[in-house]
Amino acid sequence: MIVAFKITGRLLARVYEDLSRPHPFAAERVGFLSCRVGALRPAGWVVLAHDFHPVADADYLRDRSVGAMMGPAAIRNALQFALGNEVGMFHVHIHGHRGNPWFSGVDLRETAKFVPDFWHARPQLVHGAIVLSWDSAAGLCWHPQVPKPIVFSKFSVVGAPMRTWRGQDEGKV
Amino acid sequence: MKERFKRQSFLGARSDLILNDCVVAIIGLGGGGSHVVQQLAHLGVYNFILFDPDRVEETNLNRLIGATAQDLVEGTLKTVVASRMIKGINPDASVECINDTWQEHHALLRGCDVIFGCLDSYRDRYELEIASRRYLTPYLDIGMDVHEADEGFCVSGQVILSMPDHLCMRCLGFLREELLAREAENYGAAGGRPQVVWANGILASAAVGVFTQLFTPWHKSHAATVYLEYDGNTSSITSSNRLASMKDRECPHFVGFRDLGDPFWIPEPVRAERSLGG
Repeated sequence: MIVAFKITGRLLARVYEDLSRPHPFAAERVGFLSCRVGALRPAGWVVLAHDFHPVADADYLRDRSVGAMMGPAAIRNALQFALGNEVGMFHVHIHGHRGNPWFSGVDLRETAKFVPDFWHARPQLVHGAIVLSWDSAAGLCWHPQVPKPIVFSKFSVVGAPMRTWRGQDEGKV
Repeated sequence: MKERFKRQSFLGARSDLILNDCVVAIIGLGGGGSHVVQQLAHLGVYNFILFDPDRVEETNLNRLIGATAQDLVEGTLKTVVASRMIKGINPDASVECINDTWQEHHALLRGCDVIFGCLDSYRDRYELEIASRRYLTPYLDIGMDVHEADEGFCVSGQVILSMPDHLCMRCLGFLREELLAREAENYGAAGGRPQVVWANGILASAAVGVFTQLFTPWHKSHAATVYLEYDGNTSSITSSNRLASMKDRECPHFVGFRDLGDPFWIPEPVRAERSLGG
C-alpha cells in the first residue's frame, strides 16, 4: 500500500518560515497542515496539503522535557478546523538538521495520543504527523481501520524545482 | 551514472535516478505526444502511463514518430507504437498503455509526477488541468495550430506549464469561455486540424526542456509557470507577454480545499504491510 504526500513548494516555504521563528519560551514551534486525500490505483492514498495553521504563541505549554508542548487550545483549534472543513490534520514540526529526519520517541507517543481525537471530528479522513529536516521529510498517517500508523512512501514538493523523497525505513522505530 | 547518460551529466549527479523514479503520464500520442515519448525515453524516464484510444491512420503518417507503413496496414494502436519506441530505447521501462480516454481512467493520473497533455480540444485541456490541479500535479500542455492569413498561413503553437498554486491556463488567457463555447458549438464539424512534424517536434522539444529543467534543473532560474509561444513563420519561441503581465498575480481559480483530492473520499480496505510494526 502506497501513501504519498504532496505539498506545493510555496506552502512548504510558509511552513519553514513560520516554524523557524523563535518562540518566547518553547525551544521549537509546531503547527498543523490541513490536507485532503485521494485514492491511488491500484492501492493507496495521496495526501494533499492545502493550508498551514500555526499554533499561536499563547497555546504552548511550559514543559522543559520537550522542545514544544501544545496546550489544549492548540488541539481544540485544529479539531475545530477539521470539523468545519472536510480535511485531515497533520501535525508538523522541524528537526533542525540536514538529511532524512525521523520521529523521536516523544513525537510518536504524543502524536499517537492526539490523532484519535481527530477521528471524532473527521472519522472518514486520515490524520497524522510530518517531521521536516532542512532538506527532507518523513510522515505518518493514521486511519481508524488501521491499528498502526502508516509511513509515507513518497513525499513530493510540487514547484520549481520538483523535489521527491522516498519514505524512510519504518524499522527505525 | 550509467554510461548512456554521461553526455547529460550536467543535469546533476543524481539526475539519472531522479528521472528513473519519475512517473510521467502522456495524454494523446499523436504528432506532439509521440515526440514527447521518444525524447523522454532517451532522456532516461522509465515510468510511463500512456493514454490514447486511437489506431494509426494514413493521415497520421506525416508526423507520428515511430509509426510505420505496416502499422497502418495492421491498424496498430498508438499506445503500442509509443510503447514499442520506449522499450526499444529502454527495455526495462515500465509502460502502462490505456487504449481509452483519460477521463475513463483518471484515477491513474493521481500517482503521476507530471502530466503531458498533447490534446486537440480546449475542452479536453480545461478538464485535464482541473484533474491535474486536484491532485497537485504539474501539467505541461503543448499544441499547434495553422491559421489562414492574407499572404498564406500562420503556423503557431504553445507550451504551457501549469503549476499548482501558480497561474493556470485560464489566468493566462489561453483557456477562455468564448473559446470553449465556440468549440462546443462546432463540435464534430471542424474536421482534422492541420499538423506538421517539424512544428510538433519543436513544441515537444521545448516541453521536454521545461520538464527537464523542472526535475533536474541545470541552472537556478526555475520558472514555476511557463507560457511559450511558437511562431512557425519566423521560427521563434518566446515567452508570452501574457505571462509577463500576470507575473505578480495569484490564481483565483483553484484555491478552496474542495478543489483538492477526491470529492467524496472513501478509504479502501487497508492492507497494512507498510504500517509501523504491522
